[in-house]
Amino acid sequence: MDKVLIWDWPVRIGHWLLVGAFALAWITGESEEWRLVHAFAGGTVVGVILFRLLWGLVGTRHARFASFVRGPRAVLGYVLGLLRRDESHYAGHNAAGGWAIVALLSLGLLTGASGWLVYQDSGGEWLEEVHEALASGMLGVALLHVVGVVVSSLAHRENLVRAMFTGLKQGRHDEAIANSRPLTVVLLLGWVALCAWWLTR
Amino acid sequence: MKSAIVILAGLCAATVQAATPADLLTGYHTAAAQQTAGFQPSAQRGAAFHTRNFGVSAKLASCASCHTDNPAQAGRHVVTDKPIKPLAPAANAERLTDPAKVEKWFKRNCTEVVGRECSAAEKADYIAYVTGGR
Repeated sequence: MDKVLIWDWPVRIGHWLLVGAFALAWITGESEEWRLVHAFAGGTVVGVILFRLLWGLVGTRHARFASFVRGPRAVLGYVLGLLRRDESHYAGHNAAGGWAIVALLSLGLLTGASGWLVYQDSGGEWLEEVHEALASGMLGVALLHVVGVVVSSLAHRENLVRAMFTGLKQGRHDEAIANSRPLTVVLLLGWVALCAWWLTR
Repeated sequence: MKSAIVILAGLCAATVQAATPADLLTGYHTAAAQQTAGFQPSAQRGAAFHTRNFGVSAKLASCASCHTDNPAQAGRHVVTDKPIKPLAPAANAERLTDPAKVEKWFKRNCTEVVGRECSAAEKADYIAYVTGGR
């Protein structure tokens, strides 16, 4: 197999934007001095995720949910395959990773929505507890995702972290995407800025 | 949807230990008296604490930075400009009725404004102050 283009630019920029914004929101969570930064980071998380949901429908091949959300049988098969050390390589997200993406997008959206309500003082203390529990859940899934990335990288002798920067992964030429869609990043960044601004009002 | 939220809120409220401001004051008073024999909460010390500039955070210099000089008044977050409901139970009946919430915010705000966690004595004084007792 050769290295071919799998991840487009909106997927890659969106991924690292989400990593940075979630990390920033996490470390500023308990501080009032950093409250505005926290809300801005949360707004960025929500903006990236809303964009990603749309991109999951109209984006390039491996960005689409239909291409990587698979049934429990496929997930079990992939995990057992890893344990048996046989090759069940996916060009895009593997079957287990696909569900980490779905969980992270869902948790991120719920954490953002609850955080926004707390920020607007629309919820009581209980909603704040819910917000914190959701954020902790998201951190948990993110760490699990990182463990999965390391395990799969070792199993397939493929640096998946680097792939999320370069967009290049092992695959057949007919699995590659034709266009990395760099211009869509402008749309992504504009949308995210709009969300972060609007959600911190 | 709305009824679901009400039920959820009710469930959460039911699991939260209900208390009165007087219960909270008694709790911190007892804890402080165990550390310092004969300790009595002082609303006056609480008032001084409320406006003291701790010099830890430039923006959040004192409790009064956000909560104003008067606990019965609505405050304003100095960073986000969002309104904050009054601290005094006389002006805001929800205040000082949930011990876990009170502890959580003492811990957060003391760490950031005072630069350390507050002692039981400081908390007792503070509650004596905002409840308007002595």
